[in-house]
Formats: sequence, structure tokens, C-alpha cells
Amino acid sequence: MAKPKVTSVSNLKFAKEPELSTTDPLPERESTYSLKNIWIVSFTLKALLVVGYHSTDFDVHRNWLAITHNLPISKWYVENTSQWTLDYPPFFAYFEWFLSQMVPDFVKRDGCLDIVEKGQYGLPTVYFQRLTVIVSELVLFYALQWMIDSSPNFPAKRRTYVAVGSLALSPGLLIIDHMHFQYNGMMYGILLLCLNCARLKRYLMCGFWFSVLLCFKHIYLYLAPAVFVFLLRAYCLKLNYNKKRNVFVNLISFVQWGNLLKLGSVVIAVFTIAFLPFIYYGVGPNLISRLFPFSRGLTHAYWAPNVWAIYSFADRFLIQIYKRIPISRYPLQRLFQFVPELLENDELLKSSTRGIVGDIEFFILPTITPKLTFLLTFFYQIMSLIPLFVQPNYRRFIGALTLCGYASFLFGWHVHEKAILIVIFPMTLLVARDRKLLAPYSLLVACGYGSLFPLIYTSNEWLVKVLYTLLWYIIFYFNLRKVVPIPKKFEAYGGGGIILDRVINGYILGFIVVVTFTSLLDLLETRYTILQNFKFLNLMIYSVYCGVGIISSWNGFYWLYFVDESIWSGDDV
Amino acid sequence: MAKPKKRTSSSKKDTFKEVSNDIPKVSSPKQDPPKSIFKDSPVYDLLHYFEKAPVQWEARYILVLTAVLLRSAVGLGGHSGYHTPPTFGDFEAQRHWMELTINLPISKWYYFDLSYWGLDYPPLTAYHSYLLGMIGSFINGSWFSLDESRGMETDGLRFFMRFMAIASELVLYIPAILTIANILGKKFNINRMDQIIISLVIINQPHLVLIDHGHYQFNSVMLGFFVYSVIDLIKNNLYLASIWFVSCINFKQMGLYYSLFIFFYILSQLKSFSGFILVGLTVAITQFVYLLPFILTKPESVLQIVLRVFPFNRGLFEDKVANFWCTTNVLIKYREIIDAAQLPKLALLATLLAVIPANVYLFFKIRSRPSTKIQGLIYGFSLNSLSFYLFSFQVHEKSILIALIPILLLLLIDHKDIDIIQWINNVGTFSLYPLLKKDELIMQYFVSNFLINWLIGPKILLQKKYSLNTVVVWGTYLLMIVYHVIDATMSPPTRYPDLWVILNIAISFAGFSYFWLWLVYKIYKL
Repeated sequence: MAKPKVTSVSNLKFAKEPELSTTDPLPERESTYSLKNIWIVSFTLKALLVVGYHSTDFDVHRNWLAITHNLPISKWYVENTSQWTLDYPPFFAYFEWFLSQMVPDFVKRDGCLDIVEKGQYGLPTVYFQRLTVIVSELVLFYALQWMIDSSPNFPAKRRTYVAVGSLALSPGLLIIDHMHFQYNGMMYGILLLCLNCARLKRYLMCGFWFSVLLCFKHIYLYLAPAVFVFLLRAYCLKLNYNKKRNVFVNLISFVQWGNLLKLGSVVIAVFTIAFLPFIYYGVGPNLISRLFPFSRGLTHAYWAPNVWAIYSFADRFLIQIYKRIPISRYPLQRLFQFVPELLENDELLKSSTRGIVGDIEFFILPTITPKLTFLLTFFYQIMSLIPLFVQPNYRRFIGALTLCGYASFLFGWHVHEKAILIVIFPMTLLVARDRKLLAPYSLLVACGYGSLFPLIYTSNEWLVKVLYTLLWYIIFYFNLRKVVPIPKKFEAYGGGGIILDRVINGYILGFIVVVTFTSLLDLLETRYTILQNFKFLNLMIYSVYCGVGIISSWNGFYWLYFVDESIWSGDDV
Repeated sequence: MAKPKKRTSSSKKDTFKEVSNDIPKVSSPKQDPPKSIFKDSPVYDLLHYFEKAPVQWEARYILVLTAVLLRSAVGLGGHSGYHTPPTFGDFEAQRHWMELTINLPISKWYYFDLSYWGLDYPPLTAYHSYLLGMIGSFINGSWFSLDESRGMETDGLRFFMRFMAIASELVLYIPAILTIANILGKKFNINRMDQIIISLVIINQPHLVLIDHGHYQFNSVMLGFFVYSVIDLIKNNLYLASIWFVSCINFKQMGLYYSLFIFFYILSQLKSFSGFILVGLTVAITQFVYLLPFILTKPESVLQIVLRVFPFNRGLFEDKVANFWCTTNVLIKYREIIDAAQLPKLALLATLLAVIPANVYLFFKIRSRPSTKIQGLIYGFSLNSLSFYLFSFQVHEKSILIALIPILLLLLIDHKDIDIIQWINNVGTFSLYPLLKKDELIMQYFVSNFLINWLIGPKILLQKKYSLNTVVVWGTYLLMIVYHVIDATMSPPTRYPDLWVILNIAISFAGFSYFWLWLVYKIYKL
């Protein structure tokens, strides 16, 4: 009898909650906010996934184990028996060497450490390498737990816990690390160590961890401008102009020379440890050419959902228009100045729709050069660095990192869909700060994680990847809304904001339709063989849909970064 | 009830205003009175964000999605008879039934090539296979083409089969458990969060997950029918309950383990002779409807179904199973002492001896004290099915599932027994270990066992009070660990290649017997 009353009371309470959320009553159960249970429960899932699908990246890393175990340091970046040559920076090579020392005998006998063209291995190798991923991910959990523990007060701890929990359980890491096979968990763990040092104003350690990270995986160079400007401004410069002294003295005293020296020596020391052995053996040039191969195409076989995906789509679209509507030929020709003979060649067109690297990529629209992509990336990165230079606090720093990540992902040359994590990770740290950030965040994670689905194309894993992402989204969609404080001006900002929220949620729900549709295309292709011609269409739908989503979320975030001052002033999260 | 409570809470509020502004204390009287029994367990720690009434539906969604996720992740492992031609295993049997039902007329279903996985389950399984076969052959015709598809195990087919096992469970078993948790939760005043947690514990038990989604079978369908039948028995819809129950035994004949008790129970609930006739008629008509397609096409195939479904010409037990006959067979060789034709009778006698006294006792107990009706119902099913597993003829190791489901439902009646109930479920999964080892599901076995036990937490499962139960529980766990260490490190002596399996069934049998006694004791104390 009493029950309905009780629920209605708490119902009321819940309805009121959003406005009160900053003064939300403490939960009855004094929680310590430990990630231990989350780790254990995710561990069981990862363990079950061990025997599932893994990509060729598995053999890549196996080959690296073999190279570092069997050869002297001088040969590491020279060896090329297998096509999977070592092309990560030295720390990662050392890391592989360290792992190869752990390989037990029965795994060695399984062929784990053989330098061969194509790996011949069985379950023991799979178990061993999967286990190294799971264990190395503890770095991430350590960093996340540290973020919670070092939060100043209870509401901040609670907010951080939810945000950080979403990273600990990230479907991106599950798909890329534990299904596809890579070591991103550890890499992002190091990145978060660096970021938390920045929050705690331990700038020297921040610089240290970031250089370590760069020596593990050089994709993080994309974030380097933000880190550089932040450390320069917050640690090495002190911009107070003293009118009594002359300009030159003032300029010199702007720089905090002691700090600059300390930071510089830390960074140089890290890079020396990483690269010196290779320079000593004279394989420095080999190393560099391995790290920066410039022979790849603009887009990957599966277009990462960025600006170039939309651009390629526009090209394909125009080709169809050109072919089907004769009247359009002349204006198109005049407008884009392309070579019409190329379009007559069906062979060529077909090969380009398969997205094979190195082919002609655009038939109607102008070709994109690496220089252009570089300039665009650089331009948008610089834009985001200016506010950071003016206001060098933690929140600005994370915002700038996010935008640097966005710029590199959206405009970069030969971007992989996996690189979306470089945007999602920093942004998640901010999202618990302000309700306004939730909209671009939801769009980003839904489209970003969703765009990873084609990476795992095997049918057996279909249910796992889709369900896990859905489950993750449901859990964190609701929980973030519970803990994120609502700014006072939110309602004033609101009117249009609420409609925008609806549109965004609609777009995200639309993704379910995309997944269903593309899966049906896959499912029925043996029955209706004509569907096999649409394999590329399938991937294109994913890229374009997710691309539009990610670009929109970028717009939303960019807007808030430049316009909404209230989010960015302050050091806490 | 509501009025005095309201008054106390408001008056308390007033006093609190004077004393302090401590927020949590004010809100606590509003909460549901029974505290969660899972307070200290990791599963509560993970789910307590969804404790408030308006967000509990999220917890339910999460529960269902996690259950499916667990099943699909377990499904990445091996299935029975993977890569073992020429006969493969249960997976191939299920696939083959889909193949033959969609390609042959109904009259031939129970006659077709009996030596290669001939259909030997009752009609509902055949219809179910037909339905899935039609869906499958719509997607890919080669999966179920007659004779040519034998032994097929491509990735696409595997995923289709796994998906269908999950879908079948999602349609019947999982909603059934959620419903019964809700109904019994209201009756026994279990707080909403605990209902969800108990459903989670029941749904994610490793034995069912590993057998249905690892080894590959459709036990969840039969068990779903059974749980629905229990639900209607609780609601006192005897006719609907009998329809569910007939469906249950028409899906898998093993459902008959429950039949004796459901007979006693329905008898105890009937007020008049006409009711008895009506229930009888419901059963007969349902059964008739299920057989109708066979009767219309080829009447004598009904007899063939019975012969196929009840193979009395087979052994006393199948393979190695932790029941009375197989375990004592190590010492007494029944086949040498007793004529093979007499064995079924002996088994029947033993089974009846094990259940009839308790059933009669429960019959009178329920009639005299209707308040114990629900407890009696579930205890009765538990004892009956366990006795059938222990003593009846031609038992498979997988049949333990049939006993474990009603035992799990006991959690909803008295959650204080969770330590011993989870213990017997662990023993049950343990007894399946030799089978799972053959299917290369060892990792999945350890992981799923770890998951469920860790979720409930050692504080609840390994209690430190001194009682016979605790001693037995700790002792068995110790023996299991020793067993797994031996199994992993040593190979059995060449003279007795089955020694480890026998060790396994001996431990399991001891556990089952103890639990059987415990059930008898509980029924006596009811």
C-alpha cells in the first residue's frame, strides 16, 4: 500500500533534481569511487573476447615481439622479412622487447617469436598477447583512479568518477584493443597521466609524460601543439610587464629561465634515452623513414568519418550526376576543370570505388594534396591555441587538446577511424563540467564509436560490438545527465538549445537505422547476390553519416570554445 | 499502512529541522523498508546508481543487455563437435533438424536417416527447428540444403545459430524470470533492487549460458515454458499453467522431471471433480493440437515419435553423469547383476521412492495451510527434479539444468539461503566440466563462474558461521579447487583414463546428495 506513495515522492524529487543537481544530497552509501569493480567486470568480457576475431595488427605486434627478441637493437628498424615492419617509436620497441622476455616456453614453441613472412601461431600465442593488452591497460586504470582520488571535493569526485568510468569502459578501447588488437589502453593511460599532472600544476611531470608518450606512439604529435603552448605559457613564461625597466630586460624576464631549463632537459633526456641507441648504431634515418611514411593515400580503404569522407562522397555523387544527367556535363566541366576522358574508363572508376590506396581518388573535384591537409590542420590547431595562450588554465588546455585532436582527425592525411579516440579522450574529461558540452559530446561518442563498427567485419562479433556500444551509451547517457551541473544561464541559452538537443538525439537514434540497414545489406547478400555490389555503399553510409555527426559536434564544441567564457575559466573539473 | 508512515516521516522531519540539517538522514525514512541484502556485493556497487525508483527501468535494460552480451561473448568459443567429423555434436544435431524439417514433409520427420542425428525430441522442438530453418534458409540457402549441408560450420552459419539461441532465450526464458521475480518479489516483500539483482543472478548462471550458448542446445526454451507454468500456478490459473507445462514437455521430454509434482500440486489446488476433468481435458487437447499435423498426415508417426523420444533400449545412464546410478556403478556393476530389461523398472522404483513421500507430505501441507502454497510449490519442483536427475533412467549430465532452475527460484522465496543455492549451482556447473572440456570451453567455464560468484561476493557466499551447511560448502569448494589443480597439471593413469571424470562426478554427486537432504529437511520444516 505504501509503495506507490513512496515512488511518487521520489518521482517528484527526481523531477526537481536537475536544478538542484549541484546540491544533490549525498548518496546514502558513502562510496569510495573505486574503479576496481569496473575493471573486474570488464576483465571478464575481455577474457571471453580473447578467442574471438583479431586483425592483422595481431601479427604485426607478434612480429615486433619476434624482431625485438631475436635481433640486436641496431637491426630493429632495418629488419623487413615480414611486411609488418617495426614502425612505432623506440619506447614501443623497448616495450615489445620487455614483453618478449616474458614469453613462456610453450608460447615460444607455438611460433610466437619466429621472424617469418606470415605468422604461424596458435591459441597459446593468442592468449599470451591478449593478456599483455589486458595487463598493460592497467596503466589506464591507474591514471583514471588517480584522477578520481586527486579531485578536490565530493561532487567533483562523483562527476569525475562517471566521466572517467566512461573511459574505463570505452567501447572504442574494447573494439580496437580487445577485438582488433592494439595497445591503445596503455597509450591513453600515459596521456591521462600527463593531463592529470597538468591539472595538479605539476608541469615538469606533465612534460615528462608527454615526451614519453610521443616516444611510444607518434600519432600524439597531433596533440603536441596544445601541450607545447600550454607548458610554455603556464610554466615558462610570466607575462607581467614592468614599466620601470626597459623593453629588452622585460622581454628577458618574461621567460622563466630556470623552468625552461628544467623542462627542456627533461624532454631532451627522454628523447635521448629513446633515440640515442639508434643514432649510435647509425640507423637514425631508417627509423625516421619508418615513422613517417609519406607514400599513402588521402583516405584509407574505409574512409574515416571526416571532411575527406564527405568530399569523396561529393565526388562520387557528382560522377553519378555527370553520367546520368547529360545536361549537367557542361557546367560541371566548366566549374571543376576535370579530365572527362577519365570518366569514360569504367575499370578505373571501379578501382577507385574500392578505395585502393594510391589510385586516382577524385574524378571531378580537385585533388587534395598533403600540403593542403597539413595547412588546414595547422590552421585550425593554431586557432584553438590562441585562447589557450591568453588563458593558460587546465580547462582551456583540455579544450585546446580536444580541438587539436578534432583538427587532425577531420583534416589530416590518411587518417584512420581509430584515431577518433584522440578526440574522445580529452573531451570526456571536460564533459562532466558543463551541461552545454553534453550535446556535442553525445554526438561525438555516438558517431565516433559507431564509425568503428566496420573495423570488426566478422559476423560472430557483430552482436558483441553493437550491444556493448549500445549498453555503454545507455549507461553513460543517463548517468552523465545525473551528475553534470547545469549552469545558471542554461535556460536563457536554452530555448534553441533544447530543440538542438532533440535534433541531436534524433540524429543519434538515426544511427540505429543505419546499423540495421547496413547489417541487413550484409545479411542478405548471399540471397540477393546483387547486393554484393553494394559492399562499398555500406561503408560509405557509415563514413558519411558518422562524418556529418562528427563535423557537427566539432562545430558545436568550437562554438562553445570561443563564445562561452563561463565554461573555460577555472582549473578544476 | 500508508497513513501512519506518512505521519511519522513528517514529524521526524520537523524534529530533524531542529536538530540538524543532515540531508541523508531526512531522506532515509522515505526509502523502502527492506534493505538490500546485496549491500556488500560488487553487483550492488555496480548497479546502485539505478536504485532510485524512476531509474530502475534502466537497470532492467542493462540487465537484459548484459545477459545477451555475456551469451554472445561466450558464443565466440567452441561448440559441441566443432571440427570433429563424421558425426560432430549437438550443434550439428540442431542444425540437421532444421535441415530435415524444412526439406521433408511432416510425415517423414521422425523417420529420416535415424542413424545420423535422427529427430528424437518431441514435436515442439521439430516445429521450432522448422521455423528457425525457414529463417536461416531465407538468409542463406546453402546452410540447410538437404544432405549437402551436413557438418557445415561456417562463420555465418555459426552466428545465425548462436543468434537464434539468444533470440529464443530472449523471447521466453528471460522475460519469464523477470516476471516471476516481480511477482514473488511483491509476495515476499523483496526490495525492487534486490529483485533485479536476483534476476541477474538467475539469468546469468554459467550452467545454462555455457550449455545453451557454448555447447549449443535450446534448454532455455523448455525452461522458459516451465517458468511460465510456475507463474500461472502461483496466480492459480491452473488451465493456463497446464498448457505451458504441456508445451514444456513437448519441447523436451526431460520436462517430465517436473510432471509428477505438477500433478500433485494441481490436485491439491482443485476444489471439485469437474475441475480435475477440465484440467485433464486442457492437457489432452493441448497435446492433441501439438500432434495434430502428424495425425493428419501419417497417424502411425505418433507411435514413432514416442519410440524416438523415449529410448528405453539405451543404457541406465548416458556417458558419465553425477547421479546415483553412474556414481555407484563404480562399485556395483548394475549391468552384470541385473537384466537390462529390468533396469528401467528399478530406476522408476527408486525415483518414486525418492519423491512420493515428500509429494504426499506437501499435498497435505498445502491443503491444510494454503499460506505455504508458493513455498511448497517451488520446493516441491526442486526436490522432484533433483530426485529425477539422481535416480531416473537414461539421464544426461545436462539434465542437471532442469533441477537447478527451480532451485534458483528458491532465491525469491528465501534469499538468506543464497550461499547454499549458489553453491549447488556451482556444483552443477562443476559437474558439467568434463563435457565443457571436450567442447573447448574451459576458459569460458572459468570466466563465467568467476563472474557470477564475484558479483554476489565472497562475503555472502562464504559465510563464517559454524553450521553443517558452511562446513559442506567450504569443503566442496576446496575439493573443486583440488580437482581443477589435478586436472590441469596431471594426466590420468593409463589404466583408468576416466579417473578424473569419475572424481568429478563423485564430488558432484556428494554435493547433489547433500542438497537433496537439505531440500527434504526444508520441506519438512515448511
